[in-house]
Amino acid sequence: MINGTVVELSRIQFAATALYHFLFVPLTLGLSFLLAAMETVYVTTGKPIYRQMTQFWGKLFMINFALGVATGLTMEFQFGTNWSFYSSFVGDIFGAPLAIEGLMAFFMESTFVGLMVFGWERLSKGQHLAVTWLVALGSNLSALWILIANSFMQDPQGAVFDPTTMRMQLSSFPRLVFSPDAQSKFVHTSIAGYVTAAIFVAGVSAFYLLRNRHTELAKRSFRMAALFGVMATIGVITLGDALGFVDAQAQPTKLAAMEGLWRSEAAPMPFNLIAFPDQAMQENHAAVQVPALLSLLVTHSLDGTVPGVDELEQQAALRIDNGIPAVEALQVLSKHPNDAAALAQFKLHEQDLGYGFLVQRYAPDLEKVTPQDIARAARDSIPPVAAVFWSFRLMVGFGLLMLAFFVLAVLYSLRNRVQEKAWFLKAALWMIPVPFLANEAGWLVAELGRQPWTVYGMLPTWMSASTHSVGYMAFSLTGFIAVYTAFIIVEMYLMVRAIRHGPEESGHEGGAAPRPRPRPVLAPRPLPAAPRETNLEG
Amino acid sequence: MKTFAYFVLFLMLAFVVILLAALLGARGAWYFAWMVGTAMIVLISAASAALLDTQEEHEAASHVGADAGSRT
Amino acid sequence: MGLYAMLQVIWWLLLGVLLIGLAVMVGMDMGVGAILRIVGRTDLERRVALNIIGPHWDGNQVWFILGGGAIFAAFPLIYATAFSGFYVVMLLLLWTMIVRPLGFEYRSKIASPAWRTVWDWSLFVSGAIPMIIFGAAIGNLFHGVPFHFQWNLTSVYTGSFLNLLNPFAILTGLLSLSLSVMMGALTVMNGADGDLYRRARTVAQAGAAAAFALFAIGGFWVRAIPGYSVVGGPGPGVPQTPLQQTVTLAPGAWQSNFGMHPVLWVLPLAGFVGMLGAFLAGRAGRSHLGWWLGAVAWAGVIATAGAALFPFMLPSSSDPSMSLTLWNSSSSQLTLSWMLAMAIIFVPLILWYTSWAFWIMRGKVSADHVARDEHAY
Repeated sequence: MINGTVVELSRIQFAATALYHFLFVPLTLGLSFLLAAMETVYVTTGKPIYRQMTQFWGKLFMINFALGVATGLTMEFQFGTNWSFYSSFVGDIFGAPLAIEGLMAFFMESTFVGLMVFGWERLSKGQHLAVTWLVALGSNLSALWILIANSFMQDPQGAVFDPTTMRMQLSSFPRLVFSPDAQSKFVHTSIAGYVTAAIFVAGVSAFYLLRNRHTELAKRSFRMAALFGVMATIGVITLGDALGFVDAQAQPTKLAAMEGLWRSEAAPMPFNLIAFPDQAMQENHAAVQVPALLSLLVTHSLDGTVPGVDELEQQAALRIDNGIPAVEALQVLSKHPNDAAALAQFKLHEQDLGYGFLVQRYAPDLEKVTPQDIARAARDSIPPVAAVFWSFRLMVGFGLLMLAFFVLAVLYSLRNRVQEKAWFLKAALWMIPVPFLANEAGWLVAELGRQPWTVYGMLPTWMSASTHSVGYMAFSLTGFIAVYTAFIIVEMYLMVRAIRHGPEESGHEGGAAPRPRPRPVLAPRPLPAAPRETNLEG
Repeated sequence: MKTFAYFVLFLMLAFVVILLAALLGARGAWYFAWMVGTAMIVLISAASAALLDTQEEHEAASHVGADAGSRT
Repeated sequence: MGLYAMLQVIWWLLLGVLLIGLAVMVGMDMGVGAILRIVGRTDLERRVALNIIGPHWDGNQVWFILGGGAIFAAFPLIYATAFSGFYVVMLLLLWTMIVRPLGFEYRSKIASPAWRTVWDWSLFVSGAIPMIIFGAAIGNLFHGVPFHFQWNLTSVYTGSFLNLLNPFAILTGLLSLSLSVMMGALTVMNGADGDLYRRARTVAQAGAAAAFALFAIGGFWVRAIPGYSVVGGPGPGVPQTPLQQTVTLAPGAWQSNFGMHPVLWVLPLAGFVGMLGAFLAGRAGRSHLGWWLGAVAWAGVIATAGAALFPFMLPSSSDPSMSLTLWNSSSSQLTLSWMLAMAIIFVPLILWYTSWAFWIMRGKVSADHVARDEHAY
């Protein structure tokens, strides 16, 4: 059937391109709303420095945005090019949010982003503000739909397998959209974007404050970022907790991996603060534990428990046993769609169909399946624990670090003393990579933790990939690495250059050049009043 | 009259918002929280900038006052 | 016709509309990229050309993304089979297309001529190659593509990369390139004046004339290609897999729809009239009219291909009975219904604000302002 190396290479390629794409997306999600906040101040107070701020951060926004758009194209097509079985198996459900994303969000975001950059002199203040808000709303709505799609992979709600068409089909659109995983995951991810943008703006502003350049702009940007960031970080942590609570029910294997929980224990369960999980031995080395914390975190009660790896493997083995007849019945139905006996057999075992697929990796002919095959497949049902465990701790650690940073930032900034705290400004600069690393770690927890499934409990990763040759995969992986490396070098260069160059001097009009208008009816709207405080920049 | 028309329009809008919020709140509480939370984050951050302007004006004024005081 | 069959046909038509939207809107931007070095001799002229589409290329590109999303949602088997089968070609398409946003956004950020030359060439490549691939992909459908399915509908592609570069596909690829060059040139005419305008006018006429000739040649050529026809199977509106039908090859089968419904001849006619009209309008300097006629030409060309292939969407040359039709590759009734509801709400909204954006940014782009403006491309 499918070559294991090809599956591994396809996974590496998907992870690489998705992680890369996810470097740019969160900044877009958050910075768009920060731009909206800045422009809101500009429109309500009329002070030109806020227009200058909006335009300066808007320029950095666009440098980042271009790469987000470019790498997003890859994601839209990679399901088909590299995960063709996955695409046909769940396309009936998974495709819909992607298409709606285009209809509802991408068009809005992309159409208005053009006006946001080029429309400064063609739109009234109010219209331009509305355009900026729509860009922010559009980019976050696109996150909403892609995360609804992703949540389907984590917790397949609102879908059933149809033996007539041999694929999963939508059974309830509202259940898909309102699944608890989709809800908490969207809010968690969107707000993580806000945190990313807040750290970015605070860090770059700190750079100017340290150099004593553009101080008026930098102080205001820092203040806004600090408040924006502190609230967003609180939100991210809250929603992270909610997501963990949802996962405890929906994805017990992911939770066991996140917590390094090899054996089921009695309540209240202790939390592994630090540990070195050993997948082969199924135990932790050098574990440092906090009593009772795990029960509190994932069940929100002292007497709640979650199953450990040992229990989960036993359950998986039972489900594999039960799933084998479902796959066998399906093989008959593929040739004879009207075979009543096969259909009856399928109905009896359908809830474990995915587990039947899981063992087919080791026993392509299910007639010859051995207990060893089932044991191997059951062991496969546990994700790579150490990687998930540590990605999770990195993410949480970074989250708490950012919370501490923002609380201090708010304190200093509200007293208007931040420009005097050189050590803190330097720290702010060093904080810039932190949210990006936290975002990547979060992606790893979500997607590595879902293994060995592409659709949890329904479709194993090993059979989801396209039937390419290793040569094709080597070619495409090399190509992506080459193209993407070149891109990031160019992007970083332009970003650093734009930051060093700094904002335009106050009073610069910016935006696209006014063009002659064909009709007098829509004469140019009056430009914003001449700068009242031209010397804000000193 | 124009004010009254706007009043009625906004009142009706408020009712639509209440209806939508009630529906969304029942099925998608987190989505609802995101909408309210995002608006709050953006507006508080915007207000904090306006507050900085006021602070600076205040400080500038008190400096002038202090200077004036030392001269007399 | 049952509700499901009706939804399948509606989505087949909607997909056609999306492909036309993609061809017209993305095609014109790619056309501008492809002719950038021909119509713009100086850096400033090139910047003017880029700024004409500057506010819109990103919104236009969503037609391409939405095209992918809609195929995924409405015809998942087509998305899965075609995209994995055309792997190397899809990668070329992707790698060239992802350079384009950077070309627009980064090109004019640095004044160095070498920097700008690199981005000019990348805009050329990312304009010309995707349009050729787009056309060639449609051309390949007439020959069929070598793929089959395993018992569980895992698709296996058995051809090579070179299979996809057969002469007929190259012809359709060039047709698509000519049409987008024509549209790109007409767009430049809409927004520029002076030398830029004059060169664009020449290019627009050349593009229209080439498209006219290629479309005519293609029309005769396709008669020599054996067509596919369904001779047995569950038929429209019945949930099914592609393993349940019988398909045979028959000479002239790609013309049979036109034979049965002569009214369909209006589609190729619209293509020819559109190209001819765009040629004449471009010559007369009526570039806006020419642009709309060019859009008609695109619609005619794509509709002609769709009408000839119907009900096939992706014929299999290695096992014709496993060919994908709109009946055996579409999504379920529930998905198609929800998607239709979404399309009914959002497509008019999209058309409304897209037109508003074009209206706001209407008029000529002056070289003066591009040169002065810090934020222009």
